Amino acid sequence: MNGTKSVQVVVVTPERTVLDAAVDFVSLPMYDGELGVLPGRAPLIGRLGAGELRTRKGTVTERFFIDGGFAQVRADVVTVLTARAIKAEEIDQQAANNVLQNPPPGEGRQKAQDRARIQLRVARKAAESAV
Amino acid sequence: MAKTRALVKRRKAIRNIRKITRTMELIATSRFQKAMKRAQDAEAFTRKIAELAADLSATAGNVKHPLMETHDPIKHNVLLVLCSNRGLCGGYNGSILREAMSRVRGIQAEQKTLHLELSGKRAIAWFKFQGFTPEQAFTHFEDKPKFDEVEVIANRYIEAYSAHKIDRVDVAYMKFINPGRQAAVVETLLPLAGVTDENKPAAKSQVDYEFLPDAAGILEEILPTAFRTRLFKCFLDAAVSEQIARRVAMKAATENAGDMIKSITRQYNRARQAQITKEIAEVIGGAAALE
Repeated sequence: MNGTKSVQVVVVTPERTVLDAAVDFVSLPMYDGELGVLPGRAPLIGRLGAGELRTRKGTVTERFFIDGGFAQVRADVVTVLTARAIKAEEIDQQAANNVLQNPPPGEGRQKAQDRARIQLRVARKAAESAV
Repeated sequence: MAKTRALVKRRKAIRNIRKITRTMELIATSRFQKAMKRAQDAEAFTRKIAELAADLSATAGNVKHPLMETHDPIKHNVLLVLCSNRGLCGGYNGSILREAMSRVRGIQAEQKTLHLELSGKRAIAWFKFQGFTPEQAFTHFEDKPKFDEVEVIANRYIEAYSAHKIDRVDVAYMKFINPGRQAAVVETLLPLAGVTDENKPAAKSQVDYEFLPDAAGILEEILPTAFRTRLFKCFLDAAVSEQIARRVAMKAATENAGDMIKSITRQYNRARQAQITKEIAEVIGGAAALE
């Protein structure tokens, strides 16, 4: 962190630590929109919504699907606590499509569909930027 | 001759059993290490949540949340019992069921409604024998419980508790203290006792955070997450403890088999020697009779 400024981003789920890396820029999916974090940001605690987490290091952009949770920014360390974090390339598009077409019954229906839609969007974006 | 043959046969059988128990011990050891790693990975999350909650409550003060409220009177008790699907793990299931049963008796003595939920074939079989019918029974939790699966149960509890359909949730499971010590406990998960780590003094360094949306709002969101994580941790602890219990039991079984083989070998040698001596005596006796 001396001289070359970077942000340490740590993504933790209840099962494991998904990501722990130093990057130049992080974009967090807050509950009401995106929030970008550059080195030297003021401390922050916030609620996340379902959406896309982007990290950029040099010219390499990595995308993750994040399913709600919390983010803490402190001393150039971004900690993301979320129930689910899936790398964009590892999103199961077929499963997401399935959910859209045959939504699960009950109250979780709307939520599951939204989640699937966002997953598909994140995966599509990742595929587009890779070309 | 008949006795030595029987001994040889028995020794062979025990050798086979020893081979099996040793293999099971090795399997349990490797599973234990994997489960242990998962539990440690999961701890990062729990720790962070507690940290966050501590930072938040320093700013937001005490928040009222449906999950923290104590219902009065407590009528509907939920008891979730976490046992293993398989046996051969020593006193693991026995001690959990004993703890669970004392809680069940307590609830019955107070004339309250019991909602029994069981995980693991051992628990299901045992409570069936005792004449209880569980409201829910799970057998799909093995040594790698998934958060997604646990979340379903947790969400159901959160919903029912918020709607005052249930008034208390207890979990009976084997708590993992360290690799050499586990204890069967009945823990109360709801009402939620608070999310900050009681052992540590909270908030050592005051950082001025920016809150989105606001501290109280975030804290309100954190509580359900904390509850889900806590329930998940119970499942992880149970998985780790089960493997430890199985390893210990299988280790003892292997050692016992070794001892048994030794003692049978001794008996066999003695029997063989006695037979030889007898035959020699007969030969000498026969020779002496001819003279």
